[in-house]
Amino acid sequence: MLLEARDITKAFGSFKAVDDASVTLEQGDILGLIGPNGAGKSTFFNCLTGDLKTTSGRVLLEGRDITDVTPELRAGLGLARTFQVPQTFEGMTVLENVMIGAFLRTAHRKEAETKARAVLERVGMSRLADAPARSLGTPGRKRLEIARALATEPKVLLLDEAMAGLNAHEVKLAIDLVREIHRSGITLVIVEHIMEVIMSLASRVMVFHQGKEIARGSPREVTSNPAVIEAYLGKRAAKAAAGRTPAELMGGPDL
Amino acid sequence: MRRLIWLSVVAAIAIAYPLLLSSPFQQRLGALVLLYAIAASAWNIVGGYAGQVSVGHVVFFGCGAYAAMGSYAKFGLSPLFGVPGGIVIAVGLAAIIGVPTLRLSGHYFSMATIAVAETMRLIVTNTDWLGAAVGLSGPTVPRNIFDLSFLSSLPYYYLFLVILAVTLFITWWMTNSRMGFYLRAIKDSERAARSLGAPASRTKLYAYMLSAAFTSVAGALYAMMFGFVDPESGLGILISVKILIMAALGGAGLLFGPLVGAAILVPLEEISNSWLGGRGAGLTFVLYGAIIVLIARFQPGGLLSLFTRRRKPTSDTGASHAP
Repeated sequence: MLLEARDITKAFGSFKAVDDASVTLEQGDILGLIGPNGAGKSTFFNCLTGDLKTTSGRVLLEGRDITDVTPELRAGLGLARTFQVPQTFEGMTVLENVMIGAFLRTAHRKEAETKARAVLERVGMSRLADAPARSLGTPGRKRLEIARALATEPKVLLLDEAMAGLNAHEVKLAIDLVREIHRSGITLVIVEHIMEVIMSLASRVMVFHQGKEIARGSPREVTSNPAVIEAYLGKRAAKAAAGRTPAELMGGPDL
Repeated sequence: MRRLIWLSVVAAIAIAYPLLLSSPFQQRLGALVLLYAIAASAWNIVGGYAGQVSVGHVVFFGCGAYAAMGSYAKFGLSPLFGVPGGIVIAVGLAAIIGVPTLRLSGHYFSMATIAVAETMRLIVTNTDWLGAAVGLSGPTVPRNIFDLSFLSSLPYYYLFLVILAVTLFITWWMTNSRMGFYLRAIKDSERAARSLGAPASRTKLYAYMLSAAFTSVAGALYAMMFGFVDPESGLGILISVKILIMAALGGAGLLFGPLVGAAILVPLEEISNSWLGGRGAGLTFVLYGAIIVLIARFQPGGLLSLFTRRRKPTSDTGASHAP
């Protein structure tokens, strides 16, 4: 087992944003976290990365308890993430942004630079290496987030809405990139709103609603689950929708 | 290559200056510019590169100044012997102050550093052993060359030039190391930097300690040149502000920014002082306030940022759009 979350609860005051959620992740998995807005998937995600402290529950990476480990040390252990709103280092070039990730495994500038260039090549951004990062638009920034995370040589990569704000063509390119990353042996956790992305990428899906896990399984199983449809569309719509394919109802761009 | 030429030109001007403009006033002015450039460059390490705007750096300045004068006044040693002591105290103090305050973000950190500096000034003002409000004096008549007490400003000028060169070299070396990269990343997004494995708290603390060490040296040099230190000249908030403004005016986060800022502000202050005499002291504050407003409004990156080239991105892969 690569990554495991046991009975995670995260409360803000008396409000439980995540209520007793558990998940296990095997090497080679692509786990999709979905749910309506405010369902708690991002909170759960941030508990896995260490950005938020859990109220109760444990997080284990390769059997080691990392619940109280800081985000920077989790990165060292092989956990990398991207941000929903790209946290680009505005004052740096694209290459330097990626070098920050590469510096995790080497203290030498030359080595970090060589590695960062290789990562940029891999994600198809090498021509932008010396451009100031602030000149990138949303698609570029999203891709840069992934490049930086890859430069840390992660075992598990957590993508927080890496496709949000992209058009259909850009989503396709991003899906290809995620597939390529998966083929290279990196296990993935993806939080995503776009159903199509989950359907085409995830091997397993976990559905959140009001802080609780309401369904899990393969993308097909989950999307035909009445509880899931109800969470997304409400009770009446769920009845009306009986017999239709859920992916159709939940939208997402036609690809 | 171009950088190297520019560097040689600046170095040549700096070395030749006191020989070309050799009146005592001009030499003294030159020495003061370099002295403040050392302090502002030291501030730049944590304030500019790491983006942690300390407004209490005078604490470390005071450590150096008091250590240098104390080693003479209390132990009869050359003020020079106080320098390592001042550095040790400043670095230790930086660690003690930094651990709790560097967790604060933005203005809260700045305010905490002001509070610490003012507290320190009040403590020293009420400590008889440190001369209380009167302060400590250095050797009135130099006993030997190691007292570093000269009538002419010329020896100070070259001493300061060497120390400034060392400060800038170490800063430059740091910015090209992993630590420098991490600091710049933390300045832009601490959360993202940490997610990529940058130990933010530790890196900021190291920068703060390094900055404190050089600021302490600047304080010691200041006390040696003036031959005394009191709570106002060694721990007054105006010095913190001066240091900060020089770095910000020239360009915080740029290697030569503080030097440029010092080269503009020190002469300005000296001239206004000599024109207005003692009455000018209050006006200096007004001047600083005006400069803060102007920098913030028109050139937040400092004057030197006018000259840094803006490279245009090559937008041919589809990954780049104008934001």
